[in-house]
Amino acid sequence: MSKFLPIVDEKGFKINAFKETALIFKRGDGATKLSFLLMGFGCIKRKQYIKGLLYLFMQIIFIAYMVGFAWQYLSNIGTLGTESMKREWSEARQIYVRTPGDNSMLILLFSVMSILLIIAFVLIWRASVRSCYLAQCYEKNGIKQPAFKQEIKALLDKRFHMTMLAIPGLMVMAFTVLPIIFMILIAFTNFDANHQPPGKLFTWVGLKNFTDVFWKDPLISSTFGKILVWTLVWAVFATITNYFFGMILAIMINKKGVRLKKMWRTIFVVTIAVPQFVSLMLMSQILHDLGPLNLMLQKWGFIDRTIPFLTDATYARITVILVNIWVGIPYTMLITSGILMNIPADLYESASIDGATPARMFFSITLPDMLFVTTPYLITTFVGNINNFNVIYLLTKGGPLVTDYYQAGKTDLLVTWLYKLTVDKQNYSLASTIGIFVFIVCASLSLIVYNMSGSAKREEEFQ
Amino acid sequence: MKKKASLKKNLVRLLPLLSLGLVLSFVLPWLSVNVQLSPESSSVKTGIGLLTSKESVLNVKALALCAVAAFLTAVLILFKLDKKLVLLHALTLIASVIVSVAFVLTAKQKVDASGLLAEKFMVSNLGIGLWAFQIIAILALFVALSAMHEPVEYIVLTIMASVWLLPIIWLVLTAFRQEPGAYTPYLLPKNYTVDNFSRLFTETQQFNFPRWYMNTLVVAVITCVLTTCMVLMIAFTFSRLRFPSRRTFMNIGLILGMFPGFMSMIAVYHILKAIGLAKSLVSLVLVYTGGGVLNYFIAKGFFDTIPKSLDEAATLDGANKNTIFWKIILPSSKPIVVYTAITAFIAPWVDFIFVSVIMKDDYQNYTVALGLFKMLEREHIYEYFTRFCAGAVLVAIPITLLFIKIQKFYVAGVVGGAVKG
Repeated sequence: MSKFLPIVDEKGFKINAFKETALIFKRGDGATKLSFLLMGFGCIKRKQYIKGLLYLFMQIIFIAYMVGFAWQYLSNIGTLGTESMKREWSEARQIYVRTPGDNSMLILLFSVMSILLIIAFVLIWRASVRSCYLAQCYEKNGIKQPAFKQEIKALLDKRFHMTMLAIPGLMVMAFTVLPIIFMILIAFTNFDANHQPPGKLFTWVGLKNFTDVFWKDPLISSTFGKILVWTLVWAVFATITNYFFGMILAIMINKKGVRLKKMWRTIFVVTIAVPQFVSLMLMSQILHDLGPLNLMLQKWGFIDRTIPFLTDATYARITVILVNIWVGIPYTMLITSGILMNIPADLYESASIDGATPARMFFSITLPDMLFVTTPYLITTFVGNINNFNVIYLLTKGGPLVTDYYQAGKTDLLVTWLYKLTVDKQNYSLASTIGIFVFIVCASLSLIVYNMSGSAKREEEFQ
Repeated sequence: MKKKASLKKNLVRLLPLLSLGLVLSFVLPWLSVNVQLSPESSSVKTGIGLLTSKESVLNVKALALCAVAAFLTAVLILFKLDKKLVLLHALTLIASVIVSVAFVLTAKQKVDASGLLAEKFMVSNLGIGLWAFQIIAILALFVALSAMHEPVEYIVLTIMASVWLLPIIWLVLTAFRQEPGAYTPYLLPKNYTVDNFSRLFTETQQFNFPRWYMNTLVVAVITCVLTTCMVLMIAFTFSRLRFPSRRTFMNIGLILGMFPGFMSMIAVYHILKAIGLAKSLVSLVLVYTGGGVLNYFIAKGFFDTIPKSLDEAATLDGANKNTIFWKIILPSSKPIVVYTAITAFIAPWVDFIFVSVIMKDDYQNYTVALGLFKMLEREHIYEYFTRFCAGAVLVAIPITLLFIKIQKFYVAGVVGGAVKG
């Protein structure tokens, strides 16, 4: 920005934002000190009218917003509302009259939104204080105050990142950050089918949902445990089978001497290019008890009664893994093909001169190289499989349903259970608790691998 | 190259032996049940028995012919080592495999139709001779292919390709099926028609397919434009500009992407409701754009590969960052712009979760994915199954074409950009 900002300590190190703001207050003259209360005052006094007025305008809008809108919600955040909706018999009009009460959900939603806005406002406030201080320093040192036009121009150059990130940042805030914070908070409430606004209130219950899920509630915690185990089993099998079979397919297609490589590749690519929901719904029809596969197997005399591919627990679990192979192998094939072609051919040549068998070459050359390059991909796939909603939901809908599970079936993953709890059962608080758990598992896995991969550190030298 | 042209002699010598096995398998029992398969003879079990019995319901003449042909060609190879002869031999082997598979698949029908077996015929009633015949034929095919220095992978690839393609072919055929209903007692349609397609567009009282198609198209186009702009902006910022807390922002982006998407969808629905946009197409655009914005890693990885010296040279010439973005980075990133645009365009076509949460029962504002999903619900599936297939084909065609166009970047993105962060 300039030699005046950011303020550094005696040794020339940057100091944190709080200390800096305090120092500005200490060093500021009357106008700058007043700007702490009246945003932009210092700028206006130093003839930066447009900038100063903009800050002032923002302050007025913010105060109006807080008083006129946010306060009614923020003041209720501790209780999430006290008056529920009432239905009273009105003698005069001979009907039930509804008096609207507090809406816990809106209180929570708008409170979160207001808190985000308050944080944003504090940042703007800090920027205003800084620019008032800067104006003071300019005046003191006899430097000409920058014109407003120049500052706008800086938005296209030095501060271009602000211009570029403003709109996308707003989108992310509104449709990703706000909902996620909201849903995390929901995990600490009793928002379920029995506490549904606007008719009823819900309130904070602390860690009850977490203790329920992990040990307190026998049905929920046993369901959670079983589904968690199946989710992990599924993710391990789905990832490993896809990885190895996909790699073998890629090796076969890319083998020297195989003709029509492009044709083979296109055949498999076509099957993944068909939208996944189409191919999965198609598969669920083909594997149906009355579907073509059962039909043909009976007609040919391989079986004498239908195989319950999707309706028996054990069969269904095997089927989803097999169908996942059908869906997933072409992806792995596509990705590993590129890597395979980059393995130097002379490695294989010298190995074959030394008399290595193809199997030996696979385990000593291909596999180590592949694992080295694709470890991050492998982890992404693993995380993707933990969250693999489509394959499970479109094939079995999580079924077959069993009574010793709480609102879930034998092939349900944590995410499909979460979906059912939200959409079918409106048990939002429990769903959020599970969502947080899934997030912690996935995020820690990904972050560990991301940092291990070293590509984060190599970023600068790569350019 | 010369080595390639010659044949592996030790393998070639194996071929007659194997095809002798093919012929000899007829001595073994071909049926494991003791049944009377023709009216006059008491009971026939061996392959030779089936062959000689005049009125046998199970006809093995074609199989025997293949076996003899395979044997003869194999013997010929012994006298004259010629690649063409081996190829001919391989063809007889392929014929043997195909005919024997057809034999297995039609056996039940023939036996059951003749009524000569008291209980229902099962494949497990077929005997060891047939299985030996099949195994030997496949084995010999492997040997013949490697004798010619041809990759044996063709066999596996052919089998796999058919497993992967058959469901898709069945989908396309069913889209043209005239007979109604979800499940038919036969595999291939009896009559073909294009009615399924035309009725999708004409019978719109309940399921308004053309409207859904237009909805999806409009949402997809707008989402595509907005998302592409924003993704490119973010990617450029993180790749080219250096500013305080840049890494923090990038890590936040990474972490936000790890929350299960539909954990927040209820909140998204209520936010949209609060601003009065629930059940509208605008809300879909907002949701897909908001969700797509965070997928900037691939584009950033691409921008990272454009040499920084270009920027520096431009800066010396007095260009600001804005000019660099428009004049230098964008023109040299056409492929990644196409990739970003196409992925953003595809998203609304394949998502049905967010639509179902946002649109609830507002059928008019559905997208094709959710509409097709509805067609397969229990109460509609009988009437709508063939139309579902037709609709699926109509959705799959454009997506497939676009996907084939971007597959190259898909790979680069997953192995490169996604990891680079």
